[in-house]
Amino acid sequence: MLLSAENVSKTFGSLRAVAGADLTIEQGEIIGLIGPNGAGKSTFFNCLAGDTVPTTGRISFDGIDVTRATPEEHARRGIGRTFQVPATFEDMTILDNVMVGAFLRHHQRSAAREHALAVLELVGLKDRQNLRARSLGTPGRKRLEIARVLATGPRLMLLDEALAGLTPAELQQAIALVRKIHETGVTLVIVEHIMEVIMTLAQRVIVFNQGHVIAKGAPADVVKDEAVIEAYLGRGHRHWRK
Amino acid sequence: MLLLQVIVGGLLLGAIYALFSSGLTLIWGMMNFINFAHGEFVMLGMYVALLVVVWLGGGPATFGFAAAFGLFVLGIVVYAGLIRHVTRGPMLAQILSTFGLALLLRYTAFWIFSANVVSLPQTSLGGTLNIAGILVPTAQLVAGVTAAVLTVAMHLFLTHTTMGSKLLAVAEDRHAAMLMGIRPDRMQALAWGLAAAGAGIAGALMAISYPWSPSVGETFGLTAFVVVTLGGFGSVPGAMYAGLIIGLIQALSAFYFGPIYKDIIVYALFAALLWFRPQGLMGKA
Amino acid sequence: MKAAIALLVVFLAYPLIFSNAFYLDIGVALLLAAISASAWNIVGGYAGQVSVGHCMFFGAGAYLPLLFFHHWQLPPIVGVPVGVLVSLALAVVVGMPTFRLTGHYFSMATIAVAELIRLLVGTWDFVGAAIGLQGPAVARGWWDLTFRGELPYYYIFLTVLVILLFVIWAIERTRFGYYLRAIKAGERAARSLGVPVRRTKLYALMLSAAFTSIAGSLYAIKTGFIDPESGFGILVSVQMVIIAALGGAGTLYGPLVGAIILIPLQTATNTWFGGGGSGLTYILYGGIIVLIARFEPGGLHELWYRIATKIRRRRDAA
Repeated sequence: MLLSAENVSKTFGSLRAVAGADLTIEQGEIIGLIGPNGAGKSTFFNCLAGDTVPTTGRISFDGIDVTRATPEEHARRGIGRTFQVPATFEDMTILDNVMVGAFLRHHQRSAAREHALAVLELVGLKDRQNLRARSLGTPGRKRLEIARVLATGPRLMLLDEALAGLTPAELQQAIALVRKIHETGVTLVIVEHIMEVIMTLAQRVIVFNQGHVIAKGAPADVVKDEAVIEAYLGRGHRHWRK
Repeated sequence: MLLLQVIVGGLLLGAIYALFSSGLTLIWGMMNFINFAHGEFVMLGMYVALLVVVWLGGGPATFGFAAAFGLFVLGIVVYAGLIRHVTRGPMLAQILSTFGLALLLRYTAFWIFSANVVSLPQTSLGGTLNIAGILVPTAQLVAGVTAAVLTVAMHLFLTHTTMGSKLLAVAEDRHAAMLMGIRPDRMQALAWGLAAAGAGIAGALMAISYPWSPSVGETFGLTAFVVVTLGGFGSVPGAMYAGLIIGLIQALSAFYFGPIYKDIIVYALFAALLWFRPQGLMGKA
Repeated sequence: MKAAIALLVVFLAYPLIFSNAFYLDIGVALLLAAISASAWNIVGGYAGQVSVGHCMFFGAGAYLPLLFFHHWQLPPIVGVPVGVLVSLALAVVVGMPTFRLTGHYFSMATIAVAELIRLLVGTWDFVGAAIGLQGPAVARGWWDLTFRGELPYYYIFLTVLVILLFVIWAIERTRFGYYLRAIKAGERAARSLGVPVRRTKLYALMLSAAFTSIAGSLYAIKTGFIDPESGFGILVSVQMVIIAALGGAGTLYGPLVGAIILIPLQTATNTWFGGGGSGLTYILYGGIIVLIARFEPGGLHELWYRIATKIRRRRDAA
């Protein structure tokens, strides 16, 4: 078992964003995290990423308690994440962006550079390595973020709506990239609203609504679950129900 | 008895600190932005008072309004022309913007008014009152009480009026406020206007009883930083209490150790706060 | 690299061409300003942690050498490493609590602590109170570094500047250097990539403080005098910031470019406007800082980059 979250809750003042969420992830899985806006999945995601400290509950990674661990510690242990709104280093070059990630495991500049270039090759940004990150559009920035996190050598990657806002062609490319990353041995947790991504990539799906986990299971099963349908009020599920 | 006098004097001055610091913390809470030129707004309020008295022969009420109005406009102009454009930029731009503005205002004041220490000619608020054996200069009493009333008024405005709750909504959750139809840009401009006006009136009130020169802006600015830190991020009630506390500490420091120590101890307190309780009295940890 | 060597040659040759005391004075002031601003640049430009109270390090570096001379008749240079140690301690005291809070706290703290020190020094007789301290009036030997003319100072300052720029150039290529820039570019993202943000900021501040202290020491040794205003006054901090920001905060040569532009300009406005000139100079400085913040936070370096990119694009399109 790679990651386990037990009875995780997060309360902001009087607002309970997440209530008693449980999750276990095995190495090599691709987990989808879905739910309507404000359902608590982002908060839960941030708890897993170390950005938010849960009010109650326990999160362990590889047997080690990371409930209160900082984002830096998460990265060092091998948990990486992307941001819903891409947070690339705008005025640094694409290569330098990825090198920052690479420096986590490669302390020398030449080694970091080599590793960064390899990752850029994988995601298809190598030819633009000397351009500033700012020159990329949103899809490019998302790809850069993925490359940057990948360079830190994570065992678990948390992708926060990394495939949103893409054209159908770009989406297929992105799905292929995620598969490629998965094939290198990285476990993935994907937060998404796009059903196609969840259905084609996720092996297991967790559904949030109003802070609670309301369904867990294989995509095909979850999508037929009454509670899930109710929560979504028509978010593409009808298509899949056929 | 002397000690009591010192305490009263400190609290009265502290009320003025509370007044101008409330505006600073309001902006901080709304925009996560520290106005490094806030002390200069106070300083300008003092000079407005001087000009009104010298040119128009006006009294405290007149120059109070003049300072409020003039600085209100300045606050909005500064927001629209400068602040609005740097809030989404790098931290360097944000901090340099008001830091540069502070220098600009301060040295323009030096150039126009010279470095001479000035004070207002005796107004109708001369003399000293004897309240239960404590001697309080009338001017200081009026200034302090007015400041206290205005600060409480600002707090009530924020918490009990529609406009005020709109301002607080933007401070609380900008995005949610937008979804409710509130325009953050307008609210922020208003906040800047109010904050500057508060600073301006505070300056005018202080001008009644204390002499000054263009360099006071730097000291007031730092005092405001200490007050808002002690009060807590974005908390106007916190700034109110903190202002009084700082005024009191200053007065006691000057009394026991000498005038030069009033600022030294306050700045040292600031350093201690940062180490041990940066959230201050009412901020979130 | 070729440009750097050309620049170095120009600087080496400058006093030989402009041997007049007036021009030599400007040269020395320019070099000193470039050193201070480059030192500030490490934490303010590269790491993006805006210190507006950097004079605390400059003043510490300026006071300690003269203190050692004043009380114990030791050559001022003995006080230089002590100044560095005091500055490092100050950096830790200011940085440790504030670097775990948002950026504004750090900036506010720098200005408050600098003022605190200025006031304290002004009342403390041991360090000369308001009168200040003086250095050796006449050199007892070369080690006093009290020279009649400015020429030796020019070359000493130039050496220090070259060393500092080399150190920064080297840092740019290390993991630490990348982490500094990442922190400036996006702290939250940097954290998520494993960058030890707080520790990195602190090291940057300490390094910056050490070199700023050395700049202060150089100033005191050359001038032979220091007082609370010239050591710990806010204008000392302002000059460092504006010179670095004008040229390009976060770039290697930005502070030097800023110094090359502003120091002669400052001398000119001081000469034109006479005594009242210094007031006008700072109005100008305030205005320049506001303009930089509003229109081009990256300074002239960024402006140049933008113009060059536009020209290149137009040329490619044609």
